[in-house]
Amino acid sequence: MPLPRFLPSAVLVQRFVPALASALACAALAGPVLAQTSQQTITMWSHWPDEQSKRGFVEERVKKFEAATPQCKVNLQFVQKSDLYASVKTSVRTGQAPDIFWLEPDEIAFARSGYLEPLDRYINLNNLEDWARQSWSHNGKVYGLPVEAYTVELYYNKNLMKKVGVTPPPGMQMSQAQFTDLVKKSAAAGITPVASGVGDRPYPGAYLLQEMLLRKLGLDDYRALLTGKLSFTDPRVIETMNWIKELVDAGAYPKSFSTLKLGESHYYFHTNPGAMMFPIASWYTGRAFVSAEKGGQPQGFPLGLMKYPAVDGAKCPECKTLAVGGSYVMYSRSKNKECAGKLLNSIATVENGNKWMEEVLLQTGVRTDPSRIQSIHAQYFKDLQDRSTGAKFFIGTPLHYMSGKCGDTFSQVLNRAFPAGLISVKDAAGQMDAACKAAS
Amino acid sequence: MSNSISNALPAPKPGWRPKLGALLAPPEADSRRTSWPTLMLFLAPALLVYAALTAYPVVRTFYNSFFIINDIASSDFVGLAHFAEVFRDATFLAAVRNTAIWSTVAPFLDVITGLLLALCLYAGVPFARFLRVAWFTPVLLSYVVVGIMWVWIYNYDWGVVNVALRNVGLGHWAQAWIGDPRFALASLMVTHAWKWAGFNMVVCLAALHSLPSEVLEAAELDNCGWWEKLVHVIVPMLWPTLLNLYILAFIGKMKVFDLVWIMTEGGPVWSTETVSTYVYKRAFNWNTFDLGYPSAIAVVWFFVVVGFVVFFNVLFRRRERLEY
Repeated sequence: MPLPRFLPSAVLVQRFVPALASALACAALAGPVLAQTSQQTITMWSHWPDEQSKRGFVEERVKKFEAATPQCKVNLQFVQKSDLYASVKTSVRTGQAPDIFWLEPDEIAFARSGYLEPLDRYINLNNLEDWARQSWSHNGKVYGLPVEAYTVELYYNKNLMKKVGVTPPPGMQMSQAQFTDLVKKSAAAGITPVASGVGDRPYPGAYLLQEMLLRKLGLDDYRALLTGKLSFTDPRVIETMNWIKELVDAGAYPKSFSTLKLGESHYYFHTNPGAMMFPIASWYTGRAFVSAEKGGQPQGFPLGLMKYPAVDGAKCPECKTLAVGGSYVMYSRSKNKECAGKLLNSIATVENGNKWMEEVLLQTGVRTDPSRIQSIHAQYFKDLQDRSTGAKFFIGTPLHYMSGKCGDTFSQVLNRAFPAGLISVKDAAGQMDAACKAAS
Repeated sequence: MSNSISNALPAPKPGWRPKLGALLAPPEADSRRTSWPTLMLFLAPALLVYAALTAYPVVRTFYNSFFIINDIASSDFVGLAHFAEVFRDATFLAAVRNTAIWSTVAPFLDVITGLLLALCLYAGVPFARFLRVAWFTPVLLSYVVVGIMWVWIYNYDWGVVNVALRNVGLGHWAQAWIGDPRFALASLMVTHAWKWAGFNMVVCLAALHSLPSEVLEAAELDNCGWWEKLVHVIVPMLWPTLLNLYILAFIGKMKVFDLVWIMTEGGPVWSTETVSTYVYKRAFNWNTFDLGYPSAIAVVWFFVVVGFVVFFNVLFRRRERLEY
């Protein structure tokens, strides 16, 4: 039967179809080879959209990496932490998470659930500090590149302290009585003693309490407390909480404490209305050491740094919290692991560790060579190092040890309600025990 | 005649084929109806979207509630263990209490506010046109905008509420409105009522305008004052509308999430925790990837909401007819 006129002739079809099939087969076979040699684009999500120095550091590393590795391109996005966490927690389940994303060590559940790629064969682990590597270790493998590390510090306004007639002691560590006196004098002078805000974070309100408990209990018992093996009704814990309650009742914290956001609390401390002290991690510099127009502390702000007070009967007054903060991890289902691994390895160098410290003025989990660090904020850095001289470090913050109901109760009770004076010591201790001892 | 016709037709054969044929055959009499294949062809896209975005997630949530879900690839069947745990969960019970308070109390505030605003406009206050737009504008704002704005309004140091109180000599009444468990829930309810007052106002205003004028005139002829007219004439006639608004508000508040999340995230000390915010926290904030337990909470709450809807339908099924 002849083909209709609008169809090609049978001869043409007989010759054309096999040729087309061969061409398609060749393309299918060549596709993967071509893809490998062509450019790969990796997606990277990072926190710190509003922290200029950290953002600048990351952007610069990515730029240098792209220049050195033309076959790898990076689609870098900066996202606020809460949005970033919500996005990655859904996208890792659906296979659509970015190749590299920002994470903190308290989210080690990602590694436990198999969503993170071990970095052992991608980065030089010798370039990481041992304590920082531990924070990201699970089942003997390392899952995160610990770019940011911090200690929990106590900043203060030198001029305001002079104004209320208090002089910090030579070792920059007050006694419990001296600290109480400072709080009461500040409140009497109409100065908020402690700037802190828990509007958008589950931990800053508890900084003062946690550091006092660490010093009171010492490293081992403090760890036992955080892991539910020591009760919050332990007499030493109750004694410390009673002291903090005394400070709270003396008006230590601002009335807007419950709703003040972390960024706003920085501004509250150094600009408006101003406060005597600011218990915060050493990443204070990320927001404070930028121009005042961008929310940084005013030019010439009399920033002081002192040690947390030594509580009466402290087992370890020289103890201090050191923790890994923002880190970068690789998605286990990434299709661009080679490029992603190269990017992470390019960041994990001593040179970049030094750059981080110079530019961000913050500790890092990457090894550094302090002798080579040069910065216009050298005095601040010297003060920061001085406050840690002779310190015994406890690695990790409470939320690195508490999760689930225990973590939620810590956030609501010790971080929010207790410093706000909304709950008694007995109730706070009872709720923490109910949530955390059950979980241990 | 008909007997001879029916006798001439072949008797229908037993089995499924005739039935399928009857189903697929085009209807003979009604020109508005078409065959099933054609119907399905036109309905398929909408049904597909509904199945993918609504039905499947609901069914999957029910399914997940019987498992511990750690990963896409792995899950452990736990039967009713999650459901048993839900009813022992103190935070869930606190969330239920808060949601119940919000759902039962706040709709009164919504409806009464809307009715009062509608009565103002109905009575012909000056600048009624401008006020109608102004009072309706919050309805158009997103919850994020409303939440952020009211966090500022409630700020202890410089928020409008406390500054106003201090300026009129009532500084001792200034509070951390959303930072104090005693006031946080009520503060959120006020914010929510502010946002939706305009919607209720528009509905009540339309209902007022549809009232028969003869009844109102008759009331005036009988020397009814404005209060008596409102209580004994207008409100009874508006009752079905007000009830519908209450039920709508009730159901909406049973699912409230956005405003709470933006303003307080369920704090302080779980005083504003709702079932929706708790489900979200259990699913995404608790350093765990288990979706089973939050799914169980969602299933329990689904049945609670459905139960209330059925209850309202039964309770208000009787209709009062007013003779006029």
